Amino acid sequence: MSVTINTKINGQSVSANAEASTSLLEFLRDTLEMKGSKLCCNTGECGACTIIYNGKPINSCVTMAADANGAEIVTIEGLANGDKLHPVQQAFIDTGAVQCGYCTPGYIISVKALLDRTTKPTPEDIEEAVSGNICRCTGYNKIVDAIHLAADRIAGRA
Amino acid sequence: MAKAELRIIGSSPARMGGVERVIGKGVYGIDLMLKDQLHGAILRSQYAHAKIVSIDTSEAKKVPGVHVVVTAADAPDVRYGRSYIDRYILARHKVRFMGDPVAAVAADTLAIARQALKKIKVVYEPLPVALDPEEATKPAAPTLHDDMPLPKTIPADAGLKNICGHAVVHVGDAEKAMAEADIVVDEVYETRMIHPQYLEPRIAAAQMEPNGRLTVWANAQAPFPVRQETAKMLGLALNNVRVISAGLGGGFGGKGSGITSGAAVEPICGLLAIKAKRPVMIVLDKAEETISTTIRAGAKMYIKTGVKKDGTIVARTGKVFYDAGGYSGFGVQAGGRCTNMLGGWYLMPNCHIEGYSVYTNKQVCGPVRGPGGPQAAFAVESHMDSIAAKLGMDPTEFRLKNIPKAGDKIVGVPKLRDVSLGETIKIAKEKIGWGKVKLEKNQGIGIATGSWIESAGPGGGSIVKVNEDGSVTVHIGKIDMGTIPGFGIPMIVAEELGIPVSDVTVVNVDTDASPWDAGTVGSRGILVSGGASRLAAIDARNQIFKMAGRQLEASPDDLEIVDKQIRVKGTPAKAVALATVATNAHNVIGEVIGRGYCDNLELMAEEKAHGSSQPFTTHACIVEVSPDTGNVKILKYVAVHDIGQPIHRAAAEGQIEGAAAMSIGQALCEQVVFDQNGRTMNPSFVDYLMPTINMMPRIETTLVEGYPGSGPYGAKGAGEIACVPPMACIANAIFNATGVRINKLPLSPENVLRGLKEAGKA
Repeated sequence: MSVTINTKINGQSVSANAEASTSLLEFLRDTLEMKGSKLCCNTGECGACTIIYNGKPINSCVTMAADANGAEIVTIEGLANGDKLHPVQQAFIDTGAVQCGYCTPGYIISVKALLDRTTKPTPEDIEEAVSGNICRCTGYNKIVDAIHLAADRIAGRA
Repeated sequence: MAKAELRIIGSSPARMGGVERVIGKGVYGIDLMLKDQLHGAILRSQYAHAKIVSIDTSEAKKVPGVHVVVTAADAPDVRYGRSYIDRYILARHKVRFMGDPVAAVAADTLAIARQALKKIKVVYEPLPVALDPEEATKPAAPTLHDDMPLPKTIPADAGLKNICGHAVVHVGDAEKAMAEADIVVDEVYETRMIHPQYLEPRIAAAQMEPNGRLTVWANAQAPFPVRQETAKMLGLALNNVRVISAGLGGGFGGKGSGITSGAAVEPICGLLAIKAKRPVMIVLDKAEETISTTIRAGAKMYIKTGVKKDGTIVARTGKVFYDAGGYSGFGVQAGGRCTNMLGGWYLMPNCHIEGYSVYTNKQVCGPVRGPGGPQAAFAVESHMDSIAAKLGMDPTEFRLKNIPKAGDKIVGVPKLRDVSLGETIKIAKEKIGWGKVKLEKNQGIGIATGSWIESAGPGGGSIVKVNEDGSVTVHIGKIDMGTIPGFGIPMIVAEELGIPVSDVTVVNVDTDASPWDAGTVGSRGILVSGGASRLAAIDARNQIFKMAGRQLEASPDDLEIVDKQIRVKGTPAKAVALATVATNAHNVIGEVIGRGYCDNLELMAEEKAHGSSQPFTTHACIVEVSPDTGNVKILKYVAVHDIGQPIHRAAAEGQIEGAAAMSIGQALCEQVVFDQNGRTMNPSFVDYLMPTINMMPRIETTLVEGYPGSGPYGAKGAGEIACVPPMACIANAIFNATGVRINKLPLSPENVLRGLKEAGKA
């Protein structure tokens, strides 16, 4: 059964058909050909597919596309302002937090959601915000550095 | 070039391809979409060991939307393998682990392909399974491969079976020296299988071209071996196969061993594309991947060491049972490496170790990050602490007493050049506060050292093309998975050509255009592609100087490139832009193309003359062990590494921290768990635990300089060595905290609590 999904993605209204069983991640990647959100575990464990859904970060692989009807979604493709990167994106580059880069889109989305709430995150805030994002390359050091750098820049401290 | 003159090397500029990756436009294998592509899916064995009686694909072929169904009968009757040629791309006659590919389908959608898989009727005759690598060598064990002989070095009457690799370390007279030792410590250590769990699943895409060539897209670390093996498996001429690499979302050696790594996903995809006469793409499901692709194998290691009362090591004997899995894969090489490293990297005058790589009904061993090393180091470095305890010596003093110096030999290395081991120990002690830090109740401090190979291996080349605007395009045979191609190569070329790092583009590997290479494996990116690219850039520079010299009426020897200008040394006003020279080249030689090689024979000769400059490391940590739950929390972790001259400092640190994290995961929680029938109990990420941010300590990395390696500018490989010490480091800290030695990984709450209970401490 095919359903029509009307949603707003990165500020743009989108209307497309998809099978009722389609996950939101499949809808983004396969139906809309927005490949920025990444497929990995497909069980909501790794965070590579994280998007912002009505203001909150979620795993799009375990969310049904049909649930996105009427929702507002932000994906990694929607963060930069033209050529100007979002401070979180820039900080990931500047600190060397992007190794293979496969977890990066999901990570950046989770961090953006965190820094939208607070620009003075405690270590506990950071752990809570990104404990669902697995990075297999960095050992997390550089990612933590990126989070602090982005927070400092957003708050005007750096 | 003297170090003081380095302009870029050792800094941390933005990685090539960073912007694409942070905006979601980085193209990985999984992001490919070929026009008119079909979706491929693979049927995997449901038994760990069984005869295939029959396969009936007729019902699967009738499913609407299915284009082709293939089995071994549709592929040439040829096998692949690195040491033992023991494996078909689709199982014939027998399956040897749960996850062994049996058949494949190409269909209009993935859902249809999966539906069709369920309609394939395979009749199996289940066989007894062999899961433990030591038990599998005994006469009573089931035989995995009837037609694979024992290695020639094992006597036929030895009463051993299922062995595909035999390594022997023999130095001096270990038996005699052991008998004369004051103290002998005899232990057994065991590690479990872990999966590299790179986040991007394995993919393959394939398409027959109108000219009869097959194009294969692969997220493989070694595209050239994939080309060679795919051609062979499909009966195609080598020059009729082209392999193109997409960006890799991690690999860690798990994608490193030709078609073995992905359990032949590339040739299976090629077979489907040929039969379907349509492009086909296969994306492995992550749980499917955990049970089918190559892994870091488990090992059982017997280790016995004799020492004098003053702490001098006099002898070691040992035995290794290395789990190769259902096929030999990389198990022979990794098992051999593990056997060698069980001899340690300290002075060892007498040593005898036998190592066996053993077939079991489990998935196949790959060259996962430091193949064989982390396993051996868990035994060696835990054992060092056990000996120190028996001697009543401080573990660091015991190690320092036995470290080699320049010119000495260690097991597997006839001569060392510089030896940074002692300095890494001393720095790690200082950083962790050894003997100074006040430990609270249930806290312990631990240390472990490590080393890794810095020896010759396959060569490789680099081509540096200078474009008419002065920018540069580099072709190498190594892929970028967060490693040297995206970080160090642009820096090296920019350093030599006097241009900004951002003016250098390193091209993805395409076997039609890139220089041959064994792949991004073995910590060899910097040595092979780094060294070759430096020489290629110098070759290009020489050509540029020759042409600029004519224009500037100066000797090429008197020229330099600074800020994209070629100028006469000492007369900066006398200059011409690099872009001008590169443009003018169109009318002279066409294009400046520099070529360089990493010459394996030269490296070997260098090593023979001056000794091996292998890297050393020491890790140290403080842990807290809960006597109630057995949970181990790492409070502080330091990693001290000699990697020679760092090229991209942040990337080198990142490699160290990531590699350490992988082994910290293996130390504390990671393992692929099998039931008694050889079924993987934790294939999905829901059950396969690996380190998340809240489990990981901050790894405090220190780079020790002053011990140049054989890479460009004195660099050494840095991708694997940090995997070596963590498991023993943590086990030693637990021992320090509790007095309990845990010899089996993981050091999970369950195992730690059991250890504490057995010792009457919980």
